[in-house]
Amino acid sequence: MLLSIDTSAGTSAALFDGKRLLSSVFFDDPFGHAENIAKAITGVLSQADLPANALENIAVGIGPAPYTGLRVGIAAAKALAGPLGVGLHGVMVLDAIAFSRTEERLLVTTDAKRGELFAAGYVFGKREFGPRVIDPSTTAEFGDYEHVSEPADAEKVGRYALWALEKGIDLSETGAIYLRSPDVTPSPGKRVSG
Amino acid sequence: MQLRTLAIEDLAQVMDLERRLFQNEAWLEQTMAAEIASPQTHYVGAFDGSLLGYAGLKVSGPSYSCDVQTIGVEPESQGKSIGRTLMNELLAFAKRQGSEEVFLEVKAGNESAIGLYLSLGFEQIDVRKRYYQPSGEDALVMRMPISQPVVLGIESTCDETGVGIVRGNRLLANALHSSMDEHAKYGGVVPEVAARAHLEAISPTLDAALAEAGIGYEDIDAVAVANGPGLSGALMVGIGAAKGLAVALDKPIYAVNHLVGHVGADVLERGAVEVPTIALLVSGGHTSLLLVRDLLNDTQLLGETIDDAAGEAFDKVARVLGLPYPGGPQIEKIAAEGDPNAIRFPRGLTLPKDLEKHKYNFSFSGLKTAVARHVEKLEDGGQEYSKPDVAASFREAVIDVLLTKSLWACEEFGVKRLLLGGGVVANARLRQEAEQRCQEAGIELRIPRFSLCTDNGAMIAALGSQLIMDGREPSGLDFGAESTLPVTTVQTT
Repeated sequence: MLLSIDTSAGTSAALFDGKRLLSSVFFDDPFGHAENIAKAITGVLSQADLPANALENIAVGIGPAPYTGLRVGIAAAKALAGPLGVGLHGVMVLDAIAFSRTEERLLVTTDAKRGELFAAGYVFGKREFGPRVIDPSTTAEFGDYEHVSEPADAEKVGRYALWALEKGIDLSETGAIYLRSPDVTPSPGKRVSG
Repeated sequence: MQLRTLAIEDLAQVMDLERRLFQNEAWLEQTMAAEIASPQTHYVGAFDGSLLGYAGLKVSGPSYSCDVQTIGVEPESQGKSIGRTLMNELLAFAKRQGSEEVFLEVKAGNESAIGLYLSLGFEQIDVRKRYYQPSGEDALVMRMPISQPVVLGIESTCDETGVGIVRGNRLLANALHSSMDEHAKYGGVVPEVAARAHLEAISPTLDAALAEAGIGYEDIDAVAVANGPGLSGALMVGIGAAKGLAVALDKPIYAVNHLVGHVGADVLERGAVEVPTIALLVSGGHTSLLLVRDLLNDTQLLGETIDDAAGEAFDKVARVLGLPYPGGPQIEKIAAEGDPNAIRFPRGLTLPKDLEKHKYNFSFSGLKTAVARHVEKLEDGGQEYSKPDVAASFREAVIDVLLTKSLWACEEFGVKRLLLGGGVVANARLRQEAEQRCQEAGIELRIPRFSLCTDNGAMIAALGSQLIMDGREPSGLDFGAESTLPVTTVQTT
């Protein structure tokens, strides 16, 4: 039984028995992560009529994504995995989006805010570059790639995690992927008198 | 039948019944009067026009136990469950007080009373031979355990990741991770840096709290989390974790007010927050003056800073003086060598013209500017100056205005108690001056230990526990971060 959680765009949760999707809940609201996270998780559990302690694995989208919402899902996943004593697996969300596609050469982008994109490139499903932050005008440089720009969700994160765990791919990194430093520079201090 | 708390006006009726019931073993009238009037007791009466029965409980504070002092039911009304109703009210009160056990003595031959106590959950633990005089009858000592909730509280409003655990009003753990050092190079708390640090610290801090309390997740009865006021991105990490925990454990969650949490921290020191009290909360993020008549039901914001928080002013002035962040300890260090009266810096919002609108508000921005101007002028003129004098004079101005307004509030509202909270309480000069001024004004000063004054998870757990003991319903699962949560909202439902 695997629970997947994603707050990289909206807020979503999905529940899998083996590779079979049992239930999923998706909230589109791009700002309501703190409000919706528990409803998403309890929603998938109650739809499948399962208690939280039936879970065996938890997968969570770790970005890159706008930070504030992203952290809610990761914090909830960490706090679930601790008391339940189950494995926690971090999924780089661009990998999850790419895994849901069939294109041979694929450039996956998501909104990075501030007029920028998070991007990663894939060839036959294998990541060739990224994740990185790019300027939208530079996507033309990837002319030989099919471009896909869509948000991740828990279902994609879960499906990728199930495949990756089977393949023995390491998903042990569960910290958020930010790709940018905190947006702040030390101030030298201003004079107050003219 | 009506159940209500007894007041001194009821004394005649109580004594009448007391004498009828207990004859030559009846309490003296002045004993009963003192019992009813004592702030450490809870006396209730059952009325139906006249008094049918009464009972009293003593809170043996500061402790975690209560004693049933007396109970009596009018002979013609016995057998109507009035005694049980009175006892249930006392036991509910004991639970709300955070008591973990209730004791009573009963005459060894009073079978109906003993039967009642046994059915309520009391057990005999001792016999006191010839306890009742003059009859010489033995007393059975009985005890009833009260289970208090184990609450885990999460605090992430600013730069401290706190996880505290309490049982009722008892502190079991107070684990903390601070990201203060990461903010040092920026000269102040950077919200994004704080939020990132919370996410990294949350799991280790949860583990540390459980280890400190010596309990496991399975022992937790409820989760509490501060959902404001504070930095939105930081709050959301704590909320996400708290909700994940509540879902994993299938336990209720309580979203509580961070500032009220600061006031409530005192329950962990003395078993209750003594009210009414004026509370002065001063930190890097807040400067608030509160009138607390009842922790859960009646907290009023008298005033707050209209610009910088007091702790922020210390940080900014430290920078003017070329000292590192955080400014409080740095200013404290060099001010020790300085003259607090060397420079008369302005006391914000204390002029007669300010008092109408801003009697209890604070402003530290002008003070910071005044210090900067003073220093710039001297430096521009190439003059040597004493940094310790500037630091000491600045600190004196901050402390003076904080305490002056706090004592104004005590006087205006007739409150003889002042509670300090927040990180700026670390300032020894503030504590010293507060002690002196409160003593002169005949005001009791309460300062919880420093680890309960700064932001911490224990105070959040304690406030959650207070709500549970008061019988409040848990919050829903859909609350969010409220960066400007008003102090009147103790719990977000």
